[in-house]
Amino acid sequence: MWKRGRRRSGQLAPRLLAVAGAGLLGILNIACGNDEPKVTVGLIVKRESNPFFVKIEDTAKDTAGDDNVKLLTAAGKSDIDNRTQVAALAKMTAEGAKGILITPANSSAIVPAIEKARRAGVNVIALDTPTRPRSAVNALYATDNFEAGDLIGRYAKAKAKADAIEPKIAMLDLAPGITSGQLRHDGFLKGFGIKDGDRRIVGSVNTLGETGRGEAGMKALLAKDPGINIVYTVNEQAAFGAAAALKAAGRSNDGVILVSVDGGCKAIKDYVRPGVIDATAQQYPENMAREGVKALAKAARGGPKPTGFLNTGLELITRDPVKGVPSEAVAFGVRNCWG
Amino acid sequence: MAEGSVGQTQAQSQAQPVEERPRKKASLVYPGLTVSFILLICCFAAWGAAANLTDVLVGVFRQIFTMSNFQSALVQFAYYGAYFSLAIPAALINRRFGYKAGVLTGLGLAAVGGLLFIPASGLLKFAPFLIALFVLAAGLSILETSANPFVIAMGPEESATQRLNLAQAFNPVGANIGVMLGAIIILPNLTPEAAKVIMSPAQLHDAQEHDLSLVLGPYLGIAAVLVLIWVLIALRKMPTPAEEIQGEGAARTGALRRLWRNRHYRYGVAAQFFNVGAQVCAWSFTIQYARDVVGVPPGSAGWYLQASLLLFLVSRFVMTYLLGIFRPTKLLALMGALGVGLSLIGVFSQNKVGLLAVVGISVSLSLMFPTIYGVALRGLGEDTKFGAAGLVMAILGGALMPPIQGKVMDQSGAAFGYIVPAICLALVTCYALFDLRTHRNGGKLVVEGAE
Repeated sequence: MWKRGRRRSGQLAPRLLAVAGAGLLGILNIACGNDEPKVTVGLIVKRESNPFFVKIEDTAKDTAGDDNVKLLTAAGKSDIDNRTQVAALAKMTAEGAKGILITPANSSAIVPAIEKARRAGVNVIALDTPTRPRSAVNALYATDNFEAGDLIGRYAKAKAKADAIEPKIAMLDLAPGITSGQLRHDGFLKGFGIKDGDRRIVGSVNTLGETGRGEAGMKALLAKDPGINIVYTVNEQAAFGAAAALKAAGRSNDGVILVSVDGGCKAIKDYVRPGVIDATAQQYPENMAREGVKALAKAARGGPKPTGFLNTGLELITRDPVKGVPSEAVAFGVRNCWG
Repeated sequence: MAEGSVGQTQAQSQAQPVEERPRKKASLVYPGLTVSFILLICCFAAWGAAANLTDVLVGVFRQIFTMSNFQSALVQFAYYGAYFSLAIPAALINRRFGYKAGVLTGLGLAAVGGLLFIPASGLLKFAPFLIALFVLAAGLSILETSANPFVIAMGPEESATQRLNLAQAFNPVGANIGVMLGAIIILPNLTPEAAKVIMSPAQLHDAQEHDLSLVLGPYLGIAAVLVLIWVLIALRKMPTPAEEIQGEGAARTGALRRLWRNRHYRYGVAAQFFNVGAQVCAWSFTIQYARDVVGVPPGSAGWYLQASLLLFLVSRFVMTYLLGIFRPTKLLALMGALGVGLSLIGVFSQNKVGLLAVVGISVSLSLMFPTIYGVALRGLGEDTKFGAAGLVMAILGGALMPPIQGKVMDQSGAAFGYIVPAICLALVTCYALFDLRTHRNGGKLVVEGAE
């Protein structure tokens, strides 16, 4: 038998609903925006079409949005477009930027414009590529390219030992005089435990970091010694070319240890995951952008100025880990890849 | 609204001669119980939100505690393990103290579970969260076991199915709210993995604290809602009819023996086990598939799980219509096969196509639980109640299968992990084919092989 309910609960219920609703909103409320004063920061990249710089720009925008920062952006028309970067530095300084992040297209030619901005009170952080001299900027936030080379060198050595192969190494480098390429080359040699001129090195070619030149260079080295079984590539574009040449020569993935640097999404998903590239040192352009925006915003609000070098991190990504060389699984690489 | 007595209404209608009594559509609930019914509807939504927020938590905890997929899947082991463990105690509470007491016990225990997230967040360890989830799920198990029959008892028998369907329709509404809470509040605001690569131990500790505070918010919100509903129900007079006490002892033993010998029922329980397992697996690891296989950013990955649940909701209505046209097990076999196919696409197409296939598994899942339930219970007669209890306990599949998929993922990657729901759905398909190819007597239970 169902009985009549009491009337007084009808008045209590709406009040309780209102209190609970307010409490719920309070609990669920995420602090939107930021109490910090708004500051202006600039970002100048080499060119917008490169996925590496796209990642930098996207992360800088997200970080600026979270940190109450007005972000000004500019990009060159090519990897060597210094003129646009010089103009952007001047424009951003005039528009009130208190700090500027820049990936220099020309490490030396950009220095006078940077020094002019710094004289106007603007803090400048170089991202990814150092200026020449390094002291031209407040700080450099970049990957430790020597460490990247060392990591893949150690991996290649350990894998060769595990597979019991007698190393015959092909070196696909960047270009003479480019610091990042030289550092990776030197790091690889150190990691592998050899020096330039070692008899185990079949030969080296310059690829300018391009797929076509990588393929042509790999073909030339295979013609010199078809038994090459370890391939160092300065970046993944060159690695794609090397992989194509190896496939054309009928070499299976299992027979060659191919290593590289970058950690872009195409390389991780289409090459590392199926085992074409055995391992790649993944770098994090998002860390360059995130830490750069935060550091410049802090300095603009009266905090310490950025100085020195910030290593923005590396992880070795491989589907076949080897003992003694720390690495992350392919899934980690996919979650954190760029491009 | 004035509340009347159902007894008086029934007496008035019975006073009229049968020939002159007009045909009246049965009311949805007895007079005076509308508000009570609405409160129970809120319970259905609340436990839907809590259950499906747990699906998001699997991936969240993996990132916060940097743990394996197997370890993070223990979230589902705790949640559905509690459901399984408390099914019988819940029934005993209802029998002894009534449905309202059962609902209040469930709400209270679930609210305590939500509040246990506070100390868990402070301890920065995984195990306290598992305990909190276990308590929360224990409360929701009691709540679900009590609320369903309570809703049925709230109105005339003629409108019972309609009443229960209406109440249960709010469960997926709550489920979608739960996933949305995870997708909006938790996932996009977690500390990025790449940022952790260069953090010092002190910074990592701060990041962990920050991330766990994000988890705390939605569960405190759920706890607050549960407390509110508890108060409103507790203050309301809601007398409930006494539950019929069935014969104990020999009758129960006889039922168990009869049920065990009934292959349609026995295999049905197994099919339900694997169906629940497949469902929990598919939803628990959708976000991981999106992130690990395709590289979808965390802020966007949650929306794929949301799409799965919306697809499930819409498909359920479509299936309800189709079940009126086709034999249920024929449709079950077709959907089972579809689910296997989509799971295998997820395994082998490691790209957006695979991700869409994983989302599409929800279409095949949509009709399975009620269909297997109905097919397995058909013809059980007086043993239906015991049989139903056994089917509910098949929820154990939701506890055991996700850690298995997590282990497979740890060994062979997130894509290959979907071989687990593929196998589960293949077994459900086998049950459907078994039912299509074997005969049984309708109506009261007849032991197979008996004269």
